[in-house]
Amino acid sequence: MPQLPPVDNPEDLRQWRLPRGRHGLPRELVERSQRERLLAAVVRVTVEKGYEATTVADILGEAGVGRESFYELFDDKLDCTLAAHRILLDDLDQRIRGAYTEGEDPWAERVKKALAVTLEWCAADPEAARFVTVELSTIGPPFRAIFQTEFSRFVTMVDEGLDDDMPSPELARAASLAVGATIARIYEEVFLGRGAELPRLLPELTYGFLVPFLGEDAARAAADG
Amino acid sequence: MQKHRSSDIGGSVLRPSTPLDIGRQAQRQRIIDAMIESCAEKTFAATTITDIVGRARISRTTFYKQFDDKRACFDATLDHCLEQLRELAATAYSPDDAPADAARKAATAVIKDLAARPGVAQLLTGDAIAVDPGVVERYRKVTIPALEGLWAREGGEVELRSDPRLAFGQAQVLILNQISIGRPEDLPELLPEIVYLAVSPFAGHDEAIRQSRLAQEDPDDAATTTGG
Repeated sequence: MPQLPPVDNPEDLRQWRLPRGRHGLPRELVERSQRERLLAAVVRVTVEKGYEATTVADILGEAGVGRESFYELFDDKLDCTLAAHRILLDDLDQRIRGAYTEGEDPWAERVKKALAVTLEWCAADPEAARFVTVELSTIGPPFRAIFQTEFSRFVTMVDEGLDDDMPSPELARAASLAVGATIARIYEEVFLGRGAELPRLLPELTYGFLVPFLGEDAARAAADG
Repeated sequence: MQKHRSSDIGGSVLRPSTPLDIGRQAQRQRIIDAMIESCAEKTFAATTITDIVGRARISRTTFYKQFDDKRACFDATLDHCLEQLRELAATAYSPDDAPADAARKAATAVIKDLAARPGVAQLLTGDAIAVDPGVVERYRKVTIPALEGLWAREGGEVELRSDPRLAFGQAQVLILNQISIGRPEDLPELLPEIVYLAVSPFAGHDEAIRQSRLAQEDPDDAATTTGG
């Protein structure tokens, strides 16, 4: 096994490069290493410079990957951006789904857990949170299709997790309002650079989420409980 | 014949009565319309000055007499659309309406107008955010005080039941989703929810639900749209 250079600064993606020269690693592993670095790099560069100003060269420089390798893995900057976005959103979706659908807790409790997971995900990596919200909205026409798909998957998740004995809400699109409240608030906080402090807003966000379903008094009781 | 004696025609039918800047205003409007069309077709980012002057059938020189650059033109276009919607909302209800009824009618008028003019709806939700995510603040500055003013008509402070900024964000997400699906003409389907959001921060959940039902039962009770 070839010796990897010591990684003294894990923040520097280039330190994760494989050594030059013959190393005998399978092509698959080499590509995976390049891909991982490129995906991490596109998030970092986009958040720093904005999508429009980001160039493939910036991503290559940050990742320590050659241009030819980049184009073997991705069609262009947009393709790479969307790949990173998909991985992040799938990860978030999976965590939220776990908190929301597992266990026998009453619905309002599961909502609170799912929101807590969402806010912690954003706070743990504010760069990623900014990438999937503010920066994504600036990519142009492909944004609409992605937004629509993701919005509907979260709305469906909310509807499917309702308790069977819950009275149906007065508003037909209560779940859309609830998801909309969460997205709007997270977007705003992330835009203002306050992503790391999002977990503080859990009671407020829980209340905003529950009101369209339960009305003010029941929502307040559940959010503060 | 006596063209140097201009005082002779003072007050006559020959004295120009059209406003001095009418031509300039007409050109400005053509440019704004072209900007809306081009953004709807190919987004702001892909729109060039050439596209705009081509659609507006004006020269580049005329464009640059009105606007410094593409972004300045876009900002003016946004302001123009917002002002139109503000006017429409303000004339959608009568002074005798209770605040919550007025809010329902104003919200209904705006949503119907956006449904009738998908280009404007797309510009406000998609393009504008892409150009400058901070633009949302400009929308809120128009919308929230206008709604709050309905409840403040009798004077005194309005006691907020929930954060109107959040309600605004929710409405924006719903509208953006409807546009993303590619069915801006069906925006009125969202009226029960949009009306709920327009009322709930100022009058609470129960009154908002009542207004939402009214919007659903009789979606035609508000002013008709301005159309194309």
